[in-house]
Amino acid sequence: MVAEREQEKISILLEDLASLESYARDLLNFLPLPVCLVSSIGIILEANPAFEKISGYKIEEAIGKPIEDIFVKEEIEEVSKATLEKGFIKGKEINLLTKDKRKIPVSVSTLLRKSEEGEIIGYFLALFDLTDIKKAEAEIKRRIEELEKLREKEIILRIRERAKTKDIERKVKELEEMRKALMNILEDVEEERKKAEEEKNKTLAIINNLADGLLVFDKEGKVSLINPQAEKFFGVKEKEVVGKSILELNQFDNFRPIVEMVGSEIKEMFRKEVFIKENLVLEVTTLPMVREGEKFGTLMILHDVTREKEIERMKSEFVSISAHQLRTPLSAIKWTLRMFLDGDLGEITKEQREFLERIYKSNERMISLINDLLNVTRIEEGRYVYKPTPVDVAQICQSTIELYKEEIERKNLELIFKKPQELPKVMADVEKISLAIQNLLENAIRYTLPGGKVEIVLEKKENEIQFLIKDTGIGIPKDQQGRVFTKFFRAPNAMKIDTQGSGLGLFITKNIIEAHGGKIWFESEEGKGTIFYFTLPITEVIEKRY
Amino acid sequence: MPPELTKEVAQKLMEIKGEVRGVVFKTDAEYVLKEKGEEGLKKVEEELEKLGYPIKYKEIKTLNYYPVGLRIISLLTIKKVFDFDEKKIEEMGFFATKISLIPRLFIKYVFSFSKIFFEQGPRIWREHWTVGELIPVELNEEKKYAILNLKSFTLHPIYCSYLKGYFSGLFQRMVKSPKITCEETKCTFRGDKYHEFLLKW
Repeated sequence: MVAEREQEKISILLEDLASLESYARDLLNFLPLPVCLVSSIGIILEANPAFEKISGYKIEEAIGKPIEDIFVKEEIEEVSKATLEKGFIKGKEINLLTKDKRKIPVSVSTLLRKSEEGEIIGYFLALFDLTDIKKAEAEIKRRIEELEKLREKEIILRIRERAKTKDIERKVKELEEMRKALMNILEDVEEERKKAEEEKNKTLAIINNLADGLLVFDKEGKVSLINPQAEKFFGVKEKEVVGKSILELNQFDNFRPIVEMVGSEIKEMFRKEVFIKENLVLEVTTLPMVREGEKFGTLMILHDVTREKEIERMKSEFVSISAHQLRTPLSAIKWTLRMFLDGDLGEITKEQREFLERIYKSNERMISLINDLLNVTRIEEGRYVYKPTPVDVAQICQSTIELYKEEIERKNLELIFKKPQELPKVMADVEKISLAIQNLLENAIRYTLPGGKVEIVLEKKENEIQFLIKDTGIGIPKDQQGRVFTKFFRAPNAMKIDTQGSGLGLFITKNIIEAHGGKIWFESEEGKGTIFYFTLPITEVIEKRY
Repeated sequence: MPPELTKEVAQKLMEIKGEVRGVVFKTDAEYVLKEKGEEGLKKVEEELEKLGYPIKYKEIKTLNYYPVGLRIISLLTIKKVFDFDEKKIEEMGFFATKISLIPRLFIKYVFSFSKIFFEQGPRIWREHWTVGELIPVELNEEKKYAILNLKSFTLHPIYCSYLKGYFSGLFQRMVKSPKITCEETKCTFRGDKYHEFLLKW
């Protein structure tokens, strides 16, 4: 009876146990939370379907597997260690490794399991899949980041907008300033234009009212302006000549002498006289018009010298007539005095001789002056006739020196005459060249103080013979040097020494030399002396120049 | 070569003394369901009925004791119906340890492998069977092998294959190793006095 009773109790216990096992299994199977039981050494002993689902391992595959095969080793080791030490952990985030090698973020909680004897026999491990949460978190983070980016973009856009606005404002300001500056410039330009207009009008008024004629040629040598005076000179109208070249102006008779003189290239010249027609002599000056170093045209100034020429002609005529009229009685006086002095008219006393000699010298000077005046008149009237023949210039020089030998000795001057062994002859008018050399030598002797030195040097240059007449005389003041070759010029220091000179010698000399195709110039320093140079061409045949 | 399962053979098997927990029928059924599904299990039950020993697997009580002969008939019927070889029977044993209530509930998986091996090994056997005696003989954790003797257990050769799988499965719960092998080094059906199983990992 007792045994039966015990057997019945055992049966009931076994049934309870079976029910309990069934209950536990059903509960485990039902649980949506993945759960597993892990042994104390880390082997999976139990797993539920939810665990099977998340891990991809079938329950029978998971059971017996080391737990580190299903989780990231370092992470699960930390979980195991913490569980064994503390008895549990809650919500630790680790990563589960699925069968197909995926990594799933999970939150794990554990609970230590012990036997009745208190020995650790393992722990329960429950998982919570964080994939969706992580995704949601990532999505939220992404959206936050997007929002942040958008915000940043918006801020940047705002900043840019502000910058743009500021930039636009700045540019508007700049434009406004630029506009003002431009307006100012325009005002200035307008003012300048008005000024220029006024200046132009003034200039035009001056040009139009100028007594001289003006012709302006452009860069291409064509007439761009002609003033009323020039129109009057040539008897043309502006529209007839503007745009025409100098050669095209040849069609107008009155222009022809000008064209011949200036040539097609409009040669530069200064105050050259040209006979245009009866009662019209013009003095022509052509000047290049230069701007910033570049020629942009030519200005032709036409000065009417008809009246001056007429006066000059009348003066020359008067001088010529007077000289001629005076020379005859002066010659008579000269020869009469000579006769007295030579004793042809009887004995004269010493005192009478001295007076007569003085009169004779004065008469000589008078004759010389008259000759000079006649020469000048001839030169100016173009009647100074040259008769060139081959001449030995050294001989002419020597002869001239001989004429002044007495004077040189009287003033105790040292005279040096240098010449090469041989010199070619030149074509020259002996009389005129002698006169030129005389004038130069006479000046050198006259204006050199006693004891001084006069030197004549002849040299053959390439195609010419150069004459040099050097003295140690009083020199020509610097400020007077520009007038040396003009008529009746005498330097003040020269007049102090000698009151006898006519001031015509160098004018005549220059004309003679130039008429022979030569050149004349000088170097002088007041108080030290003067050097006159002139050249005569060797081969050139001198022809009548006037 | 054991005789083919017939009614007569089954009747003879039923004469073997000893009992076994209903859990083993449950694990058999679970394996068939896993491998062949409900249809498979139905075929097995039909075959058993033909043999005159009908088993309704779902009605089996996990912790109740049933005749050992019936368990042998169950295994042989499954083998016959599905033409399972020894490897498949070994797999059934291995699978049983995963789902069986006994290794899950009654083994205390303490830290000491030695304690589990020597103390709980015989208990597990006793939890299942009223016949036979499981004796843990040697455990060498350093060299990674263990020897188990099974004495007084000469039911049917099919159990030799099944137990190889079963012991392998149990050891997998106790040692971390990717591969555990079990070899039957001694067998009563080969003339030995007892069965001896060598487990390596």
